[in-house]
Order: sequence, then C-alpha cells, then structure tokens
Amino acid sequence: MTHLLEVENLTRQFGGLTAVNKLSFYMDQGEVVGLIGPNGAGKTTCFNMISGSMRPSMGTVRFRGEVISGLKAHQVTKRGLTRTFQVVQPFPEMSALENVMIGAFARHRSRQAAEDKAGEVLERIAMKHKATVLARDLTLLELKRLEIGKALATEPELLLLDEVAAGLTPVEIDDILALVRKLNSEGMSLLVVEHVMKVIMNLSHRIVVLNFGSKISEGTAKEIAKDPAVLDAYLGEEGYVA
Amino acid sequence: MKGRWGWVTPFVVCGLAALLPLFLSKYYLHMAVIVLMWAFLAVAWNILGGYGGLHSLGNGLFMGVGGYGAAYLVLHGGVSPWLSMVIFGVVAGVMGAFVGYLCFRYGLKGAYFALVTIAFTEAAVYVVSNWGALGASNGLSLPIAKENNLAMLQFTSEKGYFYAILALLLVLVLFTRWLAGRRFGYRLISVRENEEAAEALGVGTFATKMWAIVLSAAITAVGGVFYVTLFNYIDPRSVFGEAISVQILLYAIVGGLSTVWGPVVGAAILVPIAEIVRSSALGQKFQGAYLLTYGVILVVTMLFMPKGIVGLAHDIRRRFGGRSAAPGPPAVFPEKLETESAGKDGLAP
Ligand SMILES: Nc1ncnc2c1ncn2[C@@H]1O[C@H](COP(=O)(O)OP(=O)(O)OP(=O)(O)O)[C@@H](O)[C@H]1O
Ligand SMILES: [Mg+2]
Repeated sequence: MTHLLEVENLTRQFGGLTAVNKLSFYMDQGEVVGLIGPNGAGKTTCFNMISGSMRPSMGTVRFRGEVISGLKAHQVTKRGLTRTFQVVQPFPEMSALENVMIGAFARHRSRQAAEDKAGEVLERIAMKHKATVLARDLTLLELKRLEIGKALATEPELLLLDEVAAGLTPVEIDDILALVRKLNSEGMSLLVVEHVMKVIMNLSHRIVVLNFGSKISEGTAKEIAKDPAVLDAYLGEEGYVA
Repeated sequence: MKGRWGWVTPFVVCGLAALLPLFLSKYYLHMAVIVLMWAFLAVAWNILGGYGGLHSLGNGLFMGVGGYGAAYLVLHGGVSPWLSMVIFGVVAGVMGAFVGYLCFRYGLKGAYFALVTIAFTEAAVYVVSNWGALGASNGLSLPIAKENNLAMLQFTSEKGYFYAILALLLVLVLFTRWLAGRRFGYRLISVRENEEAAEALGVGTFATKMWAIVLSAAITAVGGVFYVTLFNYIDPRSVFGEAISVQILLYAIVGGLSTVWGPVVGAAILVPIAEIVRSSALGQKFQGAYLLTYGVILVVTMLFMPKGIVGLAHDIRRRFGGRSAAPGPPAVFPEKLETESAGKDGLAP
C-alpha cells in the first residue's frame, strides 16, 4: 500500500552544516503526525523541502505515490499539500479576505468563487468580522489564524503546520488546538511542528523526533516520552517534556 | 464608484474629457494630448511597477521599440502606425520576456531589477546611435501632415491626436481594471506583497511576473508608436534617455501605485506643472527647473501620502467601511524591503 506521504533519506546541507540528515518517515491518510526537536534540529528545513520551497540535497518526497521533490512549491500546493510558515507571512497591503482569496485561487478561477470560498474559510477561523481589515493591521493571533486560513483555502489533503501555537497565550492555544482537531476529524491529514509540548502530545497520533537533523526516535506520545534518547536531546531544555 | 457599476466610470470620465476641445485653446489642447500620452505610458508601467512591485527604470526601451519601429515602417513602405502598434507590441513583448527571464530566473527584484532595466535601455542608446537604418544619432523624422489621415495617425490639428490618444487611454484603463479584478491581478499583487507566501499558496510566481512584464512592455510600445506620430521625430536620447523612464515612474508614484487611475491623475497634475515651470521666467533661465520641481513634489508626496493621491483616497474610503473591488496600493517603499532577509523562515527565532 502506498502511504499518503513518504519521506526517504531526505537530506539538506548548508555549506558544512547538515541541517537535515537522511530523514525517512511516512504518514497515512487521516493521521496527525508531530515533528519535534530542539531549536535548530531541522524541522523547518524539512518542511521547506517537503512543500517545495527548498530543494533537497538528497532524498525523495512522495505524495500519494508521486515523487514531488523537485517540483516548485506552487505545483506541490496544486497537488493538495501545503504549509504554513513559522514566521507569519501575510500579504500586508491586502485585506484578510483578499489574503485568503489568494489561497482560494488555487482551486477557483473566477473571483466570485474565490471570494465565496475565502468567506467560508474566514468563518471557520473566526475572522469573518475582520474580512476588510488590512493584514498589516491585524494582531499576532489574527495573523496566525490567517496563516492557517490562507493554507486551508487551497483545500489541502495534507497540511503542514509550523509552530502555529508559538507566541500565543494558553487560551489562544486551546482555540487553535480545537480548530486543528476539527480539521482532522473532517479527514485532513496534518504534519505538525510544535515546541509547545501540550499541543503536540495532545494532538498527534505519532511523533517523529529530530535532533541535529537526524531522526532519533519515533512513536506515540507515551513511547517517545520514555525514550532515553529523546530525554537526552531535550536535556537542558527541561520543561518541554514534562 | 468601484463595485458593480465601476466599469462605467472610465466611460464617463473619458466622455467628459472628450468635451475639452470645445473649451481649450490650441496651446492647452496640445498640453492635454501630452498629459494623455504620459498617462497612457504610466498606466502601462503601473501593471508591472505598481501591481507587480517591479519598478522598471527602462520602459523607454519598449517605447523606443514602438517609436522607431513605427517611424521606420512609415518611411519605408507607408505602413499604418495602427498596424505598427500590433507588430511592435509583439516585438516589445518578446523583448520584455527576455529581460524578465534574465531577471526573474535569478530572483532579481527591487534595485537589482531596476538596474538591469537601466542597463538594457542604456545599451539601446549605443546600439541605435550606431544603426544607420535608424538614422544613427540623428534619429528619424516623419513628414509633417498636410491633411488629416486617421489610418496614418496624422492630423493637421491637435484635435485628431487628442481623440486618438483619449480612445487608446480609455481602452487601456478598461483593460487594467479588468485585469486587476481577476485572478491574475490578485496574484500579481500577492507576488509583490510576499513572494514566498504566494508560491506556497499555489501562485506560479515566475509565470505571473513574466506575464506582467510582457504586457507592460507591449502596451508601452503602443504608447511609443503614438509618441512618434505626435512629434514626427525620434532620436536615441529622447526615448532611451533616463529622463523618460523616470518621468513615467514619477507620474505613477505621485498618482498612486497599483490603482487604475493613479497614473492618470499623476500625469494630469505633474505634466502641466512641468509645462508651466518650463515656460516661466525661471524655467527659461534654468533648463532643468521642471525636474527640480518634480523632485520637490516627489519628496512631498512620499512624506505626506506615501501611497500617492489616489492611494490616499482608497485608504480614506476603506477607513469609512467602503469595500473595494481590488486590493489596494502599496506604500512606495514598503517596509518589507528592509525586513526581507531578516524575516526569512527558519533563520528567525
Ligand atoms: N537558509 C539557510 N541557510 C543556512 N543555514 C540554514 C538555513 N535555514 C536553516 N539553516 C540552519 O539549519 C539548521 C536547522 O534549521 P531549522 O530552521 O530547520 O531548525 P528548526 O528545527 O526549525 O528550529 P526552530 O525550532 O528554531 O524553528 C539551523 O542550524 C539553521 O541555522
Ligand atoms: Mg523552525
């Protein structure tokens, strides 16, 4: 059986630094997989390569059986895989609605259809009341929601979330958690990078742990919490694994 | 004005403008023709520079292609300038694609893109100055019209030129409106605002920029054809010199980038000011006085309304709850330029 996503020997070097080292893992339809690791472990680099924004130095990415490594990001998005950015990337001079419309245009040619779709998405992310506000006037929480909204509008089958909870208060985090759970219950698969352990432990069916670019552990939340290699990697970062 | 009936506005404005010849003296009618010509060129520049955020400083290149091409074909074979608009629109479009490919392949934007466009235009000065068939540095002159001839775009009075350029501008404004309101227009702005995010949302950023430069170049060449039929003269410095390219950009910036009417308003205000300064006592004494005036106006605009005149109006309307059909204009130099590298994903905290 082919998996939804298969990552094989994925590697990326920056000069002498190997940011991601021969990483292999897979995901199945409907799964939420967590990708964790200390700062600089290579999580974002991994996202960049899977989503097509960065070419791997080596290795392949397969999505629904098709090799997508080598494609441009916009081509990957068309195939149903998209990502959010760790540092929010809004279109500042466009309204919230227009921001989301850009995503919707991936599936809809006509402006009216894209606008309708974007309206629906804004409703989902509880941003309808901000539709006409320019992105540069939104708060961080709103921008984080918008980041998810833009990606949702492309109607992904697999969504990669890069630290959507970072910088939010516990209450705001619960909000976003609820949204992610809802998306998953509706059939969307998610690959989630998160530093906030509460989020990752709560959400993921399986977790992949990276350290210095290499996979050091993989399993359920319970399993990896007991794995000495993981505890080692997080030593000095206590408080993350509790 | 925008919503469902917005497309009526260009007709109303041009309809009212069409009455101008009834009121204006020959001198002012000539000024009006020049205003419309610059407005046309600035609207064409705005497609790439305003909506796409790629500030070309070399649109004189495409203008020259149209101007020289049309003049050559009038002199050798009496080809109608209307036909030349099509021919050299295509030629300039191909040249635009070439320049664009070189720049966008390597991700050049901002000042780097501008520099490449300057380089190409400067190169054109030297190539054409040594090109015998194009009159080398003397340029080409067209015979002065003895009778009105619409097919050859030759008129004995300003009125003919006025209606010709007004019609061209009307078509271009309608086209720009249409373009800005559809998927391509939105995507072009998204590329300007945040290329990486646009790409991740399914926007083929390279293709989008390529189309923008091709369209902008082709339409600019059409303006160049009109230029040569109006002045009956073209030489290398007059079209490929930096003054032309800078003027085009100035009208768009002062009027309001990535707004349909901004470049028109910019030209309508700045061109007459330049003419008045030029013919004033001061202007007679100091050749470049009008450029100085432009400089002052540019600085004042950037200080007090960084989005230009029409951009300011958009902002005010947005503030009072209005909805606009297409995304608004950027500030002339968005903050993004400075934070671009700092905000790169993965390197930020
Ligand atoms: N474009 C780049 N050029 C050079 N080095 C880079 C680049 N992007 C990432 N790196 C380096 O690669 C390593 C992995 O970075 P990456 O951003 O993938 O880590 P991360 O796991 O996402 O970290 P964080 O938790 O801080 O977001 C780091 O040492 C980083 O400095
Ligand atoms: Mg990261």
